[in-house]
Amino acid sequence: MLRFVALRVGRALLTIALVVTFAFVVLRLSGDPALMIMSPDAPPEALAAFRQAWGLDEPIWLQYLKYFTAILQGELGQSFRDGRPALELVAERIPATLQLTLPALALKVGLGVPAGIYAALHRNSAIDRAVMTFAVTGFTVPSFVLGLVLVLVFAVQLGWLPSGGQESWRSVILPVISMGLGGAGILARFTRSAMLEVLGQPYIRTASAKGVPWGQVVRGHALPNAAIPTVTIVGFMVGTLLAGAVVVESVFSWPGVGRLMVVAVSNRDLAVVQCILLLVSATMVTSNLIVDLLYGVLDPRLRGTAPAGGGH
Amino acid sequence: MSLLSLEGVSRVYATRRGLFGTPVPVRAVDHISFSVAPGRTLGIVGESGCGKSTTGRVALGIERPSEGTVSFEGAAMPTPGTPEWRRLRARLQLVYQDPLGAMDRRLTVAAQVAEPLEIHGIGDKAERQDRVAALLRDVGLRADLAQRHPHELSGGQRQRAVLARALATDPALLVADEPVSALDVSIQAQVINMLTDLQEARGIAMLFISHDLKVVRQVSHEVAVMYLGRIVEQGDPEAIFADPLHPYSRALVSAIPVPGPRRIERIVLSGDPPNPADRPSGCAFHPRCALATASCRAEVPQLKPAADGRQVACHLVEAA
Amino acid sequence: MSEQVVPVVAAPPRPKVAIPPGVALAMLWLGLMVATALLADVIRPYGITAMDLRARLQPPVGFGGDWAHPLGTDELGRDVFSRLVESIRMSLMIAFGATIIAAVFGTTMGFLAAHFRGWVEQAVLMLIDFQASMPFLILALSVLAFFGNSLPLFICLMGLYGWERHARISRGLAIAANAQGYAAAVRQLGATPMRIYLKHVLPNIASTLIVAATLSFPEVVLLESGLSFLGLGVQPPMTSLGNMVGYGREYLTRAPWILLSPSVVIVLTTLSVSILGDWLRDRLDPTLT
Repeated sequence: MLRFVALRVGRALLTIALVVTFAFVVLRLSGDPALMIMSPDAPPEALAAFRQAWGLDEPIWLQYLKYFTAILQGELGQSFRDGRPALELVAERIPATLQLTLPALALKVGLGVPAGIYAALHRNSAIDRAVMTFAVTGFTVPSFVLGLVLVLVFAVQLGWLPSGGQESWRSVILPVISMGLGGAGILARFTRSAMLEVLGQPYIRTASAKGVPWGQVVRGHALPNAAIPTVTIVGFMVGTLLAGAVVVESVFSWPGVGRLMVVAVSNRDLAVVQCILLLVSATMVTSNLIVDLLYGVLDPRLRGTAPAGGGH
Repeated sequence: MSLLSLEGVSRVYATRRGLFGTPVPVRAVDHISFSVAPGRTLGIVGESGCGKSTTGRVALGIERPSEGTVSFEGAAMPTPGTPEWRRLRARLQLVYQDPLGAMDRRLTVAAQVAEPLEIHGIGDKAERQDRVAALLRDVGLRADLAQRHPHELSGGQRQRAVLARALATDPALLVADEPVSALDVSIQAQVINMLTDLQEARGIAMLFISHDLKVVRQVSHEVAVMYLGRIVEQGDPEAIFADPLHPYSRALVSAIPVPGPRRIERIVLSGDPPNPADRPSGCAFHPRCALATASCRAEVPQLKPAADGRQVACHLVEAA
Repeated sequence: MSEQVVPVVAAPPRPKVAIPPGVALAMLWLGLMVATALLADVIRPYGITAMDLRARLQPPVGFGGDWAHPLGTDELGRDVFSRLVESIRMSLMIAFGATIIAAVFGTTMGFLAAHFRGWVEQAVLMLIDFQASMPFLILALSVLAFFGNSLPLFICLMGLYGWERHARISRGLAIAANAQGYAAAVRQLGATPMRIYLKHVLPNIASTLIVAATLSFPEVVLLESGLSFLGLGVQPPMTSLGNMVGYGREYLTRAPWILLSPSVVIVLTTLSVSILGDWLRDRLDPTLT
């Protein structure tokens, strides 16, 4: 078990290292990092100090090493728009993003998982078909289209809910729905196929043939086993929470990390972009790690072997 | 001069036992030597897992020996994947146990038979077509089958198609690895006859690998009996068939059904089937040998000359 | 030399494929979209930047508009229908280009991993893991921030999407083919690796790769339209579906039609490719997820 944990943690750290390397390479390829990270019209002394601090006149491998250590120490540069540390700028936006993403995650799981289970248990029923149709729509309607249509109907036409801003709890409803509905569809589809797979296994048929009541078979055998793949996909969703916020926050002018990312990208505020990139990869890697460890708990057979990748 | 010769060849694989087990070296082939002269057939016979297929692959040059040397036409076998190795493929060919698996199921028979000609740049398009037609005739496939796909042929027809492909570049050596064991008994004899006819007509040398001593006897000029990676007896097939010297050969020969009264009593092998990962000490055959003595458990018997020019690796057989 | 009973196994008569109505509709819609993209110059009644300031914010036919501008006009009096046609061409071109780049790149990486094994394979697997574990939108945004935006760069960037799916599939299938069967046999005939992979392995796994591409295609459409919606994808004066939605958003209250027609096209197109892809997968390769 110790070996299993060590392997997983090692892999997580490796992924983070890869992201840092990615940022380093892209930064070097795109021009003078001093100009990019600071600003084109920063005072020459500041530029010189930056070059010295980041060792830009040194051999590339040493630069890489220094870049790496700087990032480990949390030195992520300054936003060239207002000169504040990028980390601070990003950190103060996190609560706003969580206000949207956590309820959206709850919506995905709370709606998607039960719908998937229900559809699997009532295969080919009208409700099953409805759930599957909803699921397909879930990932073919982009969240910005869904968001704008919701605004059009509930804010513009009916006037029930605000179309943007962050005034009251009612402002949260539309963004959360646009963010969570598609994921609920994906999760429903996934849960359904995981359930169907488990329900087709011989041990389920055996248990049911031995006269164990169906409800008990489902609760005792099917659900725990179907939970394993479902947990993976939920873990993946947790990891992508921040990424999912990018589009929806822009639609609703929500002052979160996602909106910050879009603004930073259009202004080419690289320190901020880099900071968000690292934040996202850290969440992603951490949630993957937790899922991997959970896997080990849920299914002891998998310890030491690689579970199927987190993608879908 | 011999066409192909193997000199003290071993092939060792590392296998892991269990998920975290340390790798255990498994000697699939252990220190074997033989040579094949042009136009002659050496039969290799043994149970599955005795290393006969690995021997065939090493002889072909698909795998490199872990120890020892393989030479073909007087030169060392080049490293797999190198240009010389690829050029040499025209001279060395393989006939497969599973002809369907050895063919690309999307291509017609004619396209597959033409493939080695294309690869080795033999002839232009028209010449290749003629040559493919001639090859298909030689292996007894009707011309109208040329445009069929592999799954539209019978097992025997597939094996003929694979053989036509192997013969396309006029190879000097064919390695036939269980070429008929997947076929119906009624078709086996036809394919065997065709193989020997073609061999005689074209002067091809052959390494004929089979678990079936009866078939091996039919085609071979010489037979090597393998047990757990080693040759235990080698010599003239008729002599081995009439009077097997090694206890293992005796068991194999006795298992062949013969009409009329038996000359040799049927010997049923007891004990565990051989596992190359867990090789017994001394003579590998001793746990299953009724005649085993203390020295069989302790010492590995070497192949040494015995009666009628045969070679036997057994402590109990008198050297000639 | 006669094999008496030659069981001539004729190719099984192809069962008549009954195309479900949903799939037929999806095909019809995609055909319409491809035709629109190919014939955009002919179909388009106006230039996409042609302004008609006297006819600004005209509603579509059926909502008080006239046939001069069937889908209405925008704030500058540009014809929405013409812009929609041009956007369909642009979005489809990007999605096709990107899907092809991803397929070629991914398959090449998969073959390299399968051929060389060892550290090459480990490196490819590490890249696959990296790609699969990072939200692509964030990576794409970072690259756009660092490099700025141009159409070729944008298409190449979208081409990085989904390559890992092709790499994973082609690696697995090539390893299987190399281990036994036809690829090993052709290698033994003396074929170069290039010939083995391009002439034998690739055609044999093509159907699986095509199915994988139909899974990526709608995702690329969504990604492109998302980025363009944010103003970070296709840049004006060029236009794409996401771009139109982004622009139309400013006029949501006064002229919702600007935004609704491209939205409908996005949804119907991704839906159609998904339906078609699912159907193809069930028919060609049920093992693929």
